[in-house]
Amino acid sequence: MFFIVEDDPAVADALESLLAGAGFSVRVFASAEDMIQQGAPSSEDTMIVDLGLPGMSGGELVRRLEKAGQNPKVIAISGKSSRTIARETEGLSHLKILRKPPSADWLEAITA
Amino acid sequence: MEPREDRRGGVSEARFESLLDTAADGIIVIDEAGRMLVFNKICEDLFGYTTEEVIGQSVNMIMPPEFATAHDEFMSNYHRTGEKRIIGIGREVSGRHRDGTVIPLELSIGEAKTSEGRQYIGVLRDLRPRRAVESRVSQLQAQVVHMTRLSAMDEMGAAMAHELNQPLTALLLYLQALARQIKVCHAEEKAPSEKLLGVLDKSVLEAERASHIVQRMRQMVEKRDPERSTIDLREVVNEALDLSEFVAQGATVTIRRVFGMNPIWVDADATQIQQIMLNLMRNALEVAKESEERWVKVSIGSDERSAVVSVTDSGTGFSEDVGKSLFKTFSTTKKSGMGLGLAISRAIAQNHGGDLLADPGGNGQGATFTLVLPMRRSMPAES
Repeated sequence: MFFIVEDDPAVADALESLLAGAGFSVRVFASAEDMIQQGAPSSEDTMIVDLGLPGMSGGELVRRLEKAGQNPKVIAISGKSSRTIARETEGLSHLKILRKPPSADWLEAITA
Repeated sequence: MEPREDRRGGVSEARFESLLDTAADGIIVIDEAGRMLVFNKICEDLFGYTTEEVIGQSVNMIMPPEFATAHDEFMSNYHRTGEKRIIGIGREVSGRHRDGTVIPLELSIGEAKTSEGRQYIGVLRDLRPRRAVESRVSQLQAQVVHMTRLSAMDEMGAAMAHELNQPLTALLLYLQALARQIKVCHAEEKAPSEKLLGVLDKSVLEAERASHIVQRMRQMVEKRDPERSTIDLREVVNEALDLSEFVAQGATVTIRRVFGMNPIWVDADATQIQQIMLNLMRNALEVAKESEERWVKVSIGSDERSAVVSVTDSGTGFSEDVGKSLFKTFSTTKKSGMGLGLAISRAIAQNHGGDLLADPGGNGQGATFTLVLPMRRSMPAES
């Protein structure tokens, strides 16, 4: 199962189209808070999270899941500068980062 | 020189000569027939003739032909009617150098009644140095305006990049999804489904979203000559506030708009007015962000003569000292250089026949900046 946490509805919808079109099941959340409320992903799942979420940031969400012992595969997406991304993901080791806008096929990158 | 020496002599003549030659302006005396009686040193440099060459000659020889004809008419008209067109008033005229160069001149003329009839004393100043300075100043001003617009763009740049990223990301992902599904359709020899067309429509929307952002950005950054037109100040200010809100996204400052119901017509360059507003808003938002109540109030009003836009923030105002140096070009209370922006904003306002005023506030009151513009005299025809 794929969990998408992205506040921009178009980006979330496009990601969903891409994954659902390839036959995966997908859940979409507009904020970190929404996702926590509606059930967190397990280690079987993949969470695609925007780092620049309003409210709780993507980085915070990942830290929180780690603390709670939930370890889904994490793919962070961000449109910010590499320096900002480095700062926002400090201390988070096993996450893959995809930068917006995409420069390669994201389905391959996400499912790899 | 002969005629002059006939009339004058001794000490007063010597004094007169030295006065003429030390004068910083060109001095010419002509008689009723337009013949030159006096032509000082400055004039020699200005027109390229020596005094000897011009004395007794018609003053027309140092004018462009069209001025010479008009000058003859002016003089005979004046002699006939006594109607003064230039005497005692002064105006800008053109002179002509020996080599044909036309020289812009400021000319003032006095009249003297002498025993030999009327004489006219002309004092001329070469306007070229002033023109050069003026055009340099306006050139620099345009450059500085362009630069601040660019520096405002710099700040907007980050916000813009972020905004552009979203539609581009969505667009590319939609296209990736489409490409995959069309491949599947091909493999299975099926026609593309309605759903695919829906995704295609959505990707078009995202491309449009991106291009709107670029258009908005382009409107801000393009350097162009001031373009005056009759505008409703409310609309123009409103647009600038939308833009400020957009740039300050994430900052939780409330922008209160206190606008009336009726349009407020002014003749102005909409982009420049928006630039002033962006500047004022940038400063006000910065101050309001640090304040307790976090708001900026923008009100627009007018009376018969002027239209007024006031920007007040929820800060605590600034000290008298800061107030005094506020509009100096390089003074600023913060690193980003708001002094430059204010100085330019004021220059723009004054170019429009208006002004930009600051009320420092204090005692719990935030500062207020007020943009004043002259009202348009008559209403434009409703379209």
